Amino acid sequence: MNFKFADIGEGIHEGVILEWKYKVGDTIEEGETLVIVETDKVNAEIPSPVTGDIKTLGPDAGEEIHVGETLAIIDDGEGDDEDEAATVKDSDQKDDTSNDESSSESAEEEKGAGVVGSIEVSNDVIASSTEGEEEDEEIVNKRVLATPVARKLAKDLGVDIKTIKGSGKNGRVMKDDIYQAAEKNGPQSDKETSSKGSKRIQVDASLPNFDENRTRREKISKLRQTIADNMTTSKTVIPHTTVMDEVIVEALVQFREENKSLAKERDVHMTYMPFIIKALTKTLEEYPRFNSSFDYDKSEIIYKNYMNIGVAVDTPDGLIVPNIKDADKRGVFGLAKELSTLKEKANNKKIQLEDLRDGTISITNYGVFDSTFGAPVIKYPEVAILGIGRISEKPVAVDGEVVIKHVLPLSLSIDHRVIDGGDAGRFLRTFKSYLKNPMLLLLS
Amino acid sequence: MAVQTVLSAINQTLFEQMKKDDSVVVFGEDVGFEGGVFRATKGLQQEFGKDRSFDSPLAESAIIGSAIGMAVNGLKPVVEIQFSGFMFPGYNQIVAHAARYRNRTRGLYNVPMVIRMPYGGGIRALEHHSESLETLFAHIPGLKVVIPSTPYDAKGLLTSAIQDPDPVIFMEPKRIYRAFKQELPDKEFKVPIGKAKTLKKGEDITVVAWGALVRETEKAIKGLEDEGIDVELIDLRTIQPYDKEAIANSVKKTGRLLVVHEAVKSFGPGAEIISMINEKAFLYLEAPPTRLTGPDITVPLPKGEHHFIISPERIRAKIKEVMAF
Repeated sequence: MNFKFADIGEGIHEGVILEWKYKVGDTIEEGETLVIVETDKVNAEIPSPVTGDIKTLGPDAGEEIHVGETLAIIDDGEGDDEDEAATVKDSDQKDDTSNDESSSESAEEEKGAGVVGSIEVSNDVIASSTEGEEEDEEIVNKRVLATPVARKLAKDLGVDIKTIKGSGKNGRVMKDDIYQAAEKNGPQSDKETSSKGSKRIQVDASLPNFDENRTRREKISKLRQTIADNMTTSKTVIPHTTVMDEVIVEALVQFREENKSLAKERDVHMTYMPFIIKALTKTLEEYPRFNSSFDYDKSEIIYKNYMNIGVAVDTPDGLIVPNIKDADKRGVFGLAKELSTLKEKANNKKIQLEDLRDGTISITNYGVFDSTFGAPVIKYPEVAILGIGRISEKPVAVDGEVVIKHVLPLSLSIDHRVIDGGDAGRFLRTFKSYLKNPMLLLLS
Repeated sequence: MAVQTVLSAINQTLFEQMKKDDSVVVFGEDVGFEGGVFRATKGLQQEFGKDRSFDSPLAESAIIGSAIGMAVNGLKPVVEIQFSGFMFPGYNQIVAHAARYRNRTRGLYNVPMVIRMPYGGGIRALEHHSESLETLFAHIPGLKVVIPSTPYDAKGLLTSAIQDPDPVIFMEPKRIYRAFKQELPDKEFKVPIGKAKTLKKGEDITVVAWGALVRETEKAIKGLEDEGIDVELIDLRTIQPYDKEAIANSVKKTGRLLVVHEAVKSFGPGAEIISMINEKAFLYLEAPPTRLTGPDITVPLPKGEHHFIISPERIRAKIKEVMAF
């Protein structure tokens, strides 16, 4: 590069070379002092603007150098600058201030070294200003209102915050909204709109004044609050009805007993639940409406081409419903293993949001508490839930005789908006046929 | 239409305003005979005589103090401080008198004056020649502070400053004095003080810059759209009173903010802008409002200056960092 002595400040015209710090042929690093120049204001150490080999140097020490003259030509690998070193206008000439500096005028693009530094000079013409031409942009805030804490929560829970209708001031998305959306695995309903499918009916549920001396208040956990919200939504939105029945499961009990050792060999804990899940998936193939959701606003049923069977787990903190993904694609052993994994995760508080999302139908087993029948609450937005009671030996009539058999009580709750009692009855009949004859699970 | 550099646009504006208004006077160190260290006032003395364009003693307090006296008594002084780092002897005059005179006299007198000063780094200068001291002025009630980033804004803002009834600090980023040119209208025009300019519209992140760093930011964001980052670039132009609405509305749209300035970090303009955004657009934020600034050190001498200077690469990296939050 052609490195010139420029007046870029202090208003000087010339200086005297006091000392060259390098000689021709030397390699100089960018920023190293090349020369000391004495001016009427200051003795200035002038650094090299580039790294390269010094090809020529300006006047000898003791001689004058004028503004615009070449201090040095340095080969910095950017091309040969010798030719342009011959004639250099000084910056006074170059700085056209007669109000008509034209872009066609040739100007050097260079770095000039003055006693106070070097300024870039260029002929680049930038785009003309658009001052005054801007159209007033209509301010459309498409963004969701939420605190950074809430945004982080949504991110952590894998919820798209943009899909959540905020319940706070001006539609601000609150943390509770996000928890609910995460639990429901989808956009939260606007409880205050007239949406027929999700309108929360406003009732006066205010409490009487309890005597503080005879009562105790306890703050509930976040999970408890979520359960409360979800149950309220389910029971408010879904018109439930429950169909109950019993099925003799003698063959199933025997089948399980016979295959216990086989399961043990494979390190599988074999309960009745894997068989029940398998039977449920087989039944759903015939009755896909039980594996759907209902879009009331659009008057459409959303059929799901996958079966993620939720299993209610009673943990010390409360009820959660993780689901087995693609249960229809698993065998009985596979379902048993997955069930064990989910229960272990639930009890160790290691359930991930992924485990709770995308359920399509649920099973709740209150048989473990020795209960028989129930009226299970559907997990919104699912449309059915199957309740399983305790298998017990009971006297039953078979071919005109009273005999003792293993009996499994069933309670099927349905969303009566899309499923009728007849559908539920037929569904249960098919389901029972699989449990009566477990070999069908393998053969069909 | 004529093509101008930032420097020649300033010179042309001074010519125009002195011609238009006899009360405009221009003075400072080397301003008259030499036409200023950078030649911003070149030709004024020859055109308007020594009474209206003259050299002052090397005494900033005297330059600003006498200008205040002139302004209060009906003139419109446009003074030049040779480099912003040399303004401290005159700082008392600016803060104690220029900024307060309107208030002190309960509106009886105002102080229509402009204090021009080259500022900023990136030119391998000596000590006291590279600072960015806009905060020291912006923090004083009664002062307006403007910084152009283009020849057009240099002319439009200087015209507004000269015609403003109150003291205006006009800071000139010397690194871009002659770094590029722009076509300007021939007739007088003004750029309003206090109004930012959106140079590029975008959806993903708002970047606010001013002075020489506007060009560096423009280089930085080239090609970012190909990487899926749509930057909205705002040139602040006026540091005080600054355009809060423009920034807040932009951040409400993008949800992210990066402020880029050469001034040192602590208590800098970025801190103010980010605080304002926390007040006006907190609920819209997708990421912490962020600043990319000079470090809290004296600007290094030439050999180490590149450690201080904010390059396009650093701006680009910081934008990606905010986007990835």
